[in-house]
Amino acid sequence: MSDVVDLAEFRTAFVVEAEELLTTANTSLLDIEKALRAGNKNIRAVRELFRAVHTIKGLSSMVGIEPVVGIAHRLETTLRAADRAGGSLALESIDTLLEGVRAIAKRVRALADGQPVAEAPSELLDRLERLESATPSTARQSGAGALILDAEIAGKLGAQDQAQLLEGLAQGRRALRVDFIPSPLRAEAGSTITSVRARVAKIGDIVKVVPISVPVTADAPGGLKFGLLVVTSESAQALADAVGVDPGMVYSLAAPPAAGILGAVLEAEPEEPSVSRHGVVRVDVERLDDVMERLSTLVVTRFRLSRALAELAAAGADVRALAQIMNENGRQLRDLRAAILRVRMVPVSEVFERVPLLVRGLSRATGKQVRLVIDAGTAEVDKGVAERLFPAVVHLVRNAVDHAFESPDERTRAGKPAEGALTIACFERTNSQLELTISDDGRGIDRKLVADRAHRPLPDSDAALLELLCLPGLSTRDEATMTSGRGMGMDIVKRTVEQLGGELTLQTRVGVGTRFVMHVPVSISIVDAFTFECAAQRFVVPVTMVEEVVDIDPARLVRGPTRRGGEAPRLLERRNETVPVVQLESLFRLGDRGGEARKALVVRRNGEPMAFSVDRMLGQQEVVVRPLEDPLVRVIGISGATDLGDGRPTLVLDLAALSGALSAATLEPAA
Amino acid sequence: MSILHVVFKVGGTEYAMPADEVLQMESYGGATPVPGAARGVVGIVQVRGRVVPVLDLRARFGLEPIAATLNSRLVVGQDGARSVALLVDSAREVLKLDPEQIEPPPPMMADDSQGFVRAVARMGERLVMLIDFKRVIGEERLHGE
Repeated sequence: MSDVVDLAEFRTAFVVEAEELLTTANTSLLDIEKALRAGNKNIRAVRELFRAVHTIKGLSSMVGIEPVVGIAHRLETTLRAADRAGGSLALESIDTLLEGVRAIAKRVRALADGQPVAEAPSELLDRLERLESATPSTARQSGAGALILDAEIAGKLGAQDQAQLLEGLAQGRRALRVDFIPSPLRAEAGSTITSVRARVAKIGDIVKVVPISVPVTADAPGGLKFGLLVVTSESAQALADAVGVDPGMVYSLAAPPAAGILGAVLEAEPEEPSVSRHGVVRVDVERLDDVMERLSTLVVTRFRLSRALAELAAAGADVRALAQIMNENGRQLRDLRAAILRVRMVPVSEVFERVPLLVRGLSRATGKQVRLVIDAGTAEVDKGVAERLFPAVVHLVRNAVDHAFESPDERTRAGKPAEGALTIACFERTNSQLELTISDDGRGIDRKLVADRAHRPLPDSDAALLELLCLPGLSTRDEATMTSGRGMGMDIVKRTVEQLGGELTLQTRVGVGTRFVMHVPVSISIVDAFTFECAAQRFVVPVTMVEEVVDIDPARLVRGPTRRGGEAPRLLERRNETVPVVQLESLFRLGDRGGEARKALVVRRNGEPMAFSVDRMLGQQEVVVRPLEDPLVRVIGISGATDLGDGRPTLVLDLAALSGALSAATLEPAA
Repeated sequence: MSILHVVFKVGGTEYAMPADEVLQMESYGGATPVPGAARGVVGIVQVRGRVVPVLDLRARFGLEPIAATLNSRLVVGQDGARSVALLVDSAREVLKLDPEQIEPPPPMMADDSQGFVRAVARMGERLVMLIDFKRVIGEERLHGE
């Protein structure tokens, strides 16, 4: 039992580590490609890539995901040869290598999601293998090949065995290794090492069977596997079929002919990368969430303490000493909170690491040329915010390449550089807000086209245009393109930003370009909030969302005519501005309060003010917001819940989203 | 191999779900209403620092609502990352059910119950409906506004 648990824990660590290595691999590949295009070699990047792939292979075999081991092994072989040849790699091989890395990434994801890990596609393995033999020079001398053997296996082979393998290669046959893991399950299915030997012997010569120890897993209960070293004229696939394993378990033993290497080569692995970032700890976000959760219980306890203190004081007790301690305690909690928030911060530049790869793929798929500039400076963002925001960034980038940029010809005709300029910039504004800009110099967004598509009147401003663009299901292209046809629409981008308590704005000029700006808070967990009461229910709203709390004089409220027999619309005059007043209790059907509300919270969205009337304000305090993410309770205008100290959840309102939804509803043609 | 099940009552009928899908059981002291939530959701409660929606099984199963009593219980179930509390009339029993006691629901019931009932367990005279928790808390908004 404990083995299983340990393994699960190990897998989580594996996924984290592997994803980091995959990012390195992708970045290195792009660097290599860039150097190759410029006619240079990037030896350092080749070596980094090799190390990343090598480590992935090692980790994967520890966890026992054979498909990844198989792919990584083939990548590794090619890269080792490239490394030995001084970093020379064919430009054409980059795509295949990227594909290999992608195939690994997909399987690591599957493992992380608890999904079954797909076998290594044999077609990809074949292509990777062809790279091996084509790298770095295609001159394969007849008769003189070399063997690639893991140190463990090499140690168990006699000179005679190696000679036999080399001889097989010299005859133009294949020298392959296939791994078979004995288990009771496989024995039941008729596969034992004896039966496997017999089947393999039919299609080739078994040079040696080497036992290799592996970690005990459900798949390898004996902690043992056999490596069969085979000389055969058949393909790797045929050998895999004979043994009854994934083709990823078949490895070529033929080393690509590299400069001056003859005979058997014992593994001279590069040293494991030393701990590169000294003193850095990788932490699962969930653990940080857990710490935050614990802090929030402390904050709640403090609310209760201060309430008890107030009661004591009210009863006439001398609480000066206690109050002093409470003050100090409050300061400490704030410091602790700030410290935890700092731990959760990641550099924004890290968030954007995956963008160049995305742009490269898009540019390939569309045939458009893109010059990508990323300027994230030193800005940092909460990991949780980053994870939510990234899909929105991806969508905007896709849109830019896919829709905004003209074809190179079209651009040249318009007097623009053939390369489209895509800029992603990010900096932190003083009030803990991040400003993230994604701009392009493409064709701009045609208001009329969007209006026609949405069957709405022509928008008179960029803000109104954005509203139209963000209508669910709107697409300005007829055909679903390869790259943007799926995925989320602008409505989801907008909702993502708004759920984070941020704002999305747009500037566009036809023929000149488009700029999307997202303002999002740097972190979201704890916010300063107003508490108020409405129809006997308590609510909370972030202070930053409220422009002003105003008194309402019922006598001065202007009531309009009733449209559908419902609540009469009310208007409030405030500093030469007309503000519609929404009664929260009727909007939320909370029942009657009796009498007119005396207070209202004014929020502003897209420049338009709206007031929400409430019964009374209760105060202002810091609250820990827990998002309400279950689909059963996902409601526009409600962003989460918090505990005010009574052990019950109190709803946190997103009045800005609510006002947006209400404005949209009134724009709706009457049903 | 017998499997431990939590048994609860809704409208006089006994239902059960596997104990390992149940996070915990709680007495019910009211929930914070969430305006505009899916039909049958009476609100949210806090369970071990986590905020979970409360789904009234009477409403979900198309029965008349009744006021909560001292016997009312929350059965907090888990499905992947989701935790949802089921509000039931009472929940007192834990039962071991053997596979041979369990049979598929009669076709008519399978059609009528929207897939909420996964199987029927027979113990002598007693019939217990095994619910499909995933279906019961299904993502589709029954009556979204």
